[in-house]
Order: sequence, then C-alpha cells, then structure tokens
Amino acid sequence: MTADSGCYLAVGAALFVLGGIGFVTRRNLILIFLSVELMLHGVSLTLLTFGRMHNNLEGQSFTIFMLTVAACEAALGLSLVLSLYQRTKSLDVDIWSKLSEPDLPKWDKPVQPLESRVLREERPASPRLTKAGGLPEIDDDFPVELATSTDPRKILTPSPPDDDY
Amino acid sequence: MSDSAVQGVLYGSLAAGAIGMWLATSPRTAALRVLGAFLASAGLIAAVAMFSGPGGDVTNKILFWLFAGSALLSGVLMVTSREPVYAALWFALATLGTCGLFMMQAAPFLAAATIIVYAGAIIVTFLFVIMLAQQQGRSFYDYRARTPIMSIVASWLMLAALLWNFQAWQKAPMAAAGPALTAEAATNPFSQPSDVDQFDSLRALGLSLFGDYLYAVEIAGTLLLVAGIGAIAIAPRRAEGTL
Repeated sequence: MTADSGCYLAVGAALFVLGGIGFVTRRNLILIFLSVELMLHGVSLTLLTFGRMHNNLEGQSFTIFMLTVAACEAALGLSLVLSLYQRTKSLDVDIWSKLSEPDLPKWDKPVQPLESRVLREERPASPRLTKAGGLPEIDDDFPVELATSTDPRKILTPSPPDDDY
Repeated sequence: MSDSAVQGVLYGSLAAGAIGMWLATSPRTAALRVLGAFLASAGLIAAVAMFSGPGGDVTNKILFWLFAGSALLSGVLMVTSREPVYAALWFALATLGTCGLFMMQAAPFLAAATIIVYAGAIIVTFLFVIMLAQQQGRSFYDYRARTPIMSIVASWLMLAALLWNFQAWQKAPMAAAGPALTAEAATNPFSQPSDVDQFDSLRALGLSLFGDYLYAVEIAGTLLLVAGIGAIAIAPRRAEGTL
C-alpha cells in the first residue's frame, strides 16, 4: 500500500456506506436511485485508488465501464419510475412492496398447511398467471382505489408495518 | 499517536457519526437534524483523518480535505434531506467533490467524464423527473425514514469492518517496489504494474481501453443502445395531458 492511499479508500468506503443508508431508509423511488449512484461513486473512488496503488490503468478502465452501466441504469430506472408513477400518482416505494399473486403465500402471513389448502380448493388447478386485461387483486388490506384513482389527494396509503424500529 | 489511540479515536468518531446519522434521519426538529448531519459528517471526516493523509505539499492536503469534506458532508445531507430536489442538488455537490478526488488520483479524464455524465446529464434527468412527478409539493413519504436505526447499525458495522481492514493493510510491511501482495494476488494480471510512462495521460488510458478492453468497449456500446431502446419502450406515453 502506498503511503497516501488509505485516506482515499476510507472516503470511498464512507461514500458507499452513506449511499447504502440512503438506499434502505429513503422511501422515494427517485432518491433510492440517487443513493445507488452515490454508492457507485464510492466504488469508483476505490477502484481508482487501487489502480493507482498497483500503478496500472485497470482501475480507470473499469470506472469507465461503471460510468456506462450507470448511465444505462439511470435511463431504464427513470423510465420505470415514470411508468410506476403514472399508475399510482405517487413515488412511495411502499406501495409496490405488496406485489404478488393472490394465491401465492405472503411473506408476512403464516403459510397454511398444504393439506388444508388442497382440501379447500374445489375448482381444478389453473395456471398461476395474472389475467391479462383485468386489475389484479393486489392484497387483502390494500386499497384497490389506489391503482384506479387518479387524484393524489384521495389516496390513503397504509402505513407500513415495520416502521417502528 | 500510538496504535491504540488511533483505534480509539477511529471508533469514537465512528460512534459519533452513527449518533449524528440517527439524529439526522429521525423525525425531530430541523435544528437537531442539521446538527446531526454535521455531527455525522464530522465523525466520518475524523475517521478518514485517522488514516495516512495525502502526500505532497500543503496545497495537496488542503485540496484533499476540501474535496473529501464536501463529498462526505453533501453525501450525508443528500441521504437525510427531506426535499427531493435538494437531495438531488446535494448529490451533484457530492459528485463534484468525488471528481476532485478523482483528479487527485491522477484520473483527470474520468473526473471530466463523471462531471459531464452525472452533473450534466443524470442530475438534470433526475430533476426533470422529480419536477414532473411531484407537482403537488411535499409528500409524506419523504418525511419518514424507514428503519433508520437498523440500517445505520448495519452500515456502520460494515464501515467499521472496512476501515479496520484498511488499517491492517496500512500496517502491513511495504515491499520494495509496489504494494505488498500475496502470492495469488501477485500473479493476478490486474495487479501487474503497467509500463506506461505517463500514468495520468489520456493516451495511456485510451491505449488500455481500446487495446486491452476492445471487446468490452463494443459490448458496452451495445448495452447503451439496448438500454436506450428499452427506456423508450418502457417510458409511458400519453396522448393528452400531463403525466
């Protein structure tokens, strides 16, 4: 390790960790993307420092590829954010935390034993695909008006259950 | 300072930074949150100061602390800011600080490219989307951080582990030429010093990029093309009205 690279590595690690905190704690879709970009900055700085430590240019070349992939990610992510925003008129990421098909087991609900499920099912088993065209039933306690209403002031999102750590 | 004193100051400043982050992300008064953000960045800067500082003369040191301080402070403020537009602007400032550090690490082309791509293109696009999507002003989900304590504890554990590792590297005996490497790392082609005469010249970087990584450059160009087409395909379009 050359004499002066420790501080650069420390700054890179700190930026990475700050971006990680932002990725977990922010609830705005766009700010989650921005936090990922901050993590990428930390990784770029670390790559450059490693390249300088070893006196070669591989770190700089890798950073250019990271820049390319970050640009692609920003373009795709922002178009996804726009199309998600058009559905709910909200950038809250918690709205999308309960996406699943209605007959699959939920992560926060206890799974019923297999026998009772089989006994209860009268109809023949159908392929588990969401019907095209219709509005999928997202969850039991999830307001369906959320997906159909377009007025942002009428939307009442449920507060997430894991908020009080 | 002795080794144990350095360790003590390092972990003490990390603990102060964690407390500052907790204050900054919690729903308290604005003054407490600003105080927490400053405490967090001061703790991070103090932790960075426990490593061997930048070489060179006084100008070098001043520039390093300016760039590192602005990057860390604006990173903390970006993560904890309640206004998305301000968060994007703080991110632009963090990008500028990071690009200054790139410049000091003998990568002037990358610094310029990162400023152009991030501060020029990505930030503008983010601000554009924020202003498209949040026309009704403040929204409640920007005001409540999700699981702040657990994420701060996990992230700070990771940071402490990384810094402890870097300190162990710093204490390792330095080889006569280049860094001290294990046997496996010494045979790794990415660890071999290249025979470029001018390390920070654009010519050397271009030779590496278009010589060693020519196929990867082509694949990256294809990736950009595919991502552009995909973004156009995903983006919603409406015949009438706003978003």
